[in-house]
Amino acid sequence: MAPVLQIEKIESGYGEVQVLWGISLEVEAGKLTTIVGANGAGKTTTLRTAMGSVRPWHGRIFLEGEEVTRLSAHAKAGRGLVLVPEGRQLFPTLSVEENLEMGGYSTRARKRQRANLERVYELFPRLKERRKQRSSTLSGGEQQMLAMGRGLMQEPVVLMIDELSLGLAPVLTQQLFLTLKSLRGQGITIVLVEQNVHLALALSDYTYVLAEGRVTIQGESRQVAQMDEVRRAYLGL
Amino acid sequence: MIDGLLVGSVYGLAAMGLSLIWGVMNVINLTHGAMIALGMFGMYVLFGAITGHPYVLLLPEIGVGLLLGVVVYWVAIHWVIGRPMLMSLLSTFAVNMIIIGIGTAVWTTSPYNVNFNLPGLTVGSYTFTGNHIAAAVAALILALALDLFLRRTRPGKAIRAVSDHREAAELMGISSTTVLSIAFGIGIAMAIASGALVATLFPFTILSGGTYQLKSFVVTVLAGLGKPLGALVAGVLLGLLEGAVTPFMAASWIPLIEFTLFVVVLVAFPRGIFGKVAA
Repeated sequence: MAPVLQIEKIESGYGEVQVLWGISLEVEAGKLTTIVGANGAGKTTTLRTAMGSVRPWHGRIFLEGEEVTRLSAHAKAGRGLVLVPEGRQLFPTLSVEENLEMGGYSTRARKRQRANLERVYELFPRLKERRKQRSSTLSGGEQQMLAMGRGLMQEPVVLMIDELSLGLAPVLTQQLFLTLKSLRGQGITIVLVEQNVHLALALSDYTYVLAEGRVTIQGESRQVAQMDEVRRAYLGL
Repeated sequence: MIDGLLVGSVYGLAAMGLSLIWGVMNVINLTHGAMIALGMFGMYVLFGAITGHPYVLLLPEIGVGLLLGVVVYWVAIHWVIGRPMLMSLLSTFAVNMIIIGIGTAVWTTSPYNVNFNLPGLTVGSYTFTGNHIAAAVAALILALALDLFLRRTRPGKAIRAVSDHREAAELMGISSTTVLSIAFGIGIAMAIASGALVATLFPFTILSGGTYQLKSFVVTVLAGLGKPLGALVAGVLLGLLEGAVTPFMAASWIPLIEFTLFVVVLVAFPRGIFGKVAA
């Protein structure tokens, strides 16, 4: 089966500084793919380049078989490529519910906005309790729930999540990972960048390991977890 | 005093336009005064040509203002957004000079007025000019409509989202440049509408906009950035102040008092009197 999201030899960076040196990824439908690696390996930049927040210098990007390399971030979002960004990036002066409504902004997502809102509230009852509050008044965990909820409101074809567990208490992290697992079970395609390599490998179907802007290891997560170099470098075993 | 309150609501409307643009795109719009003057002459021309009811003529003025704002956005603003503020100051100042220049060529700098009077309203020994009351009502309606638009409608929320976090808004599928151009258009439409209303109150020249631009600055700073309804209230306060001061001293003292207030507020309440301590 053709991959839903395909990234082909992408190079990009910021200003003069090149961060990605020819990264290729294939994301299969209904799978959970993780990208792990040390700080500065280019994980976040990979997602941002796929999304179009960072313009690719070279290489091509395909979404559902169509080339979308040159499309802007909002155009890709309109086609269902969704990024839950690092640091949540909520709209602080908007209420919780308004943040979710913004998730349903595109023409695609709008049609199912009501149903999706119900689903998000079911998934995160806490958000429903606080739906009239400004998002800046939420706790870190609630903010991450809102960021994920906002992503789900977008009717993702591919849901890319950057640093799900960053700054969260372990219990919350566990809970959010379980949520991810159930989402994958519902057939949503997920790409996860994660610093918690243990959890990422345990949960995902396929793993890419990045170092210095290149893919160094890739494979079924179960196998990657067995590799000596991975165990030594990332799992501390 | 009451008259100051009525005129103040028109100041408030003018300031809302400045405040919206400043708050949403961090651009200090120096075309503001020129747009207010255009609104005045727009009312003059339309009133002369169609002899419609001035308050009905507001609607086409607002429509033209929206369009003009979007055009000015693409010509002069789009390229300098996100760059140092001096860039947008210079480019909006340039547009300001172009408009004033064309206006001077067409209408010279001699005073004009819109010859139109509504019957006044007499309460006891006091008479309120009909035009002032109607202008205040119109300003109030427009201001409330803008507030409702920003708080309740989908495009209004999108403007706030882009204002909050432009990159995240893009991730939601919101075309932030489209949203910014519309927000700019609305800001300009507000300026033009307030100019049109002022034209029904006082005589004006093509240079009159400058005075109202300065008042808008004072009001915006009083209210704190990006608080349209706050701007309305602050505008009314400013009008009240003027109304309270004029019986006791010459009108030429007003700018002095207003800008003293401006400096005091800047020092004492850097976020405006309606600003929150932590955003």
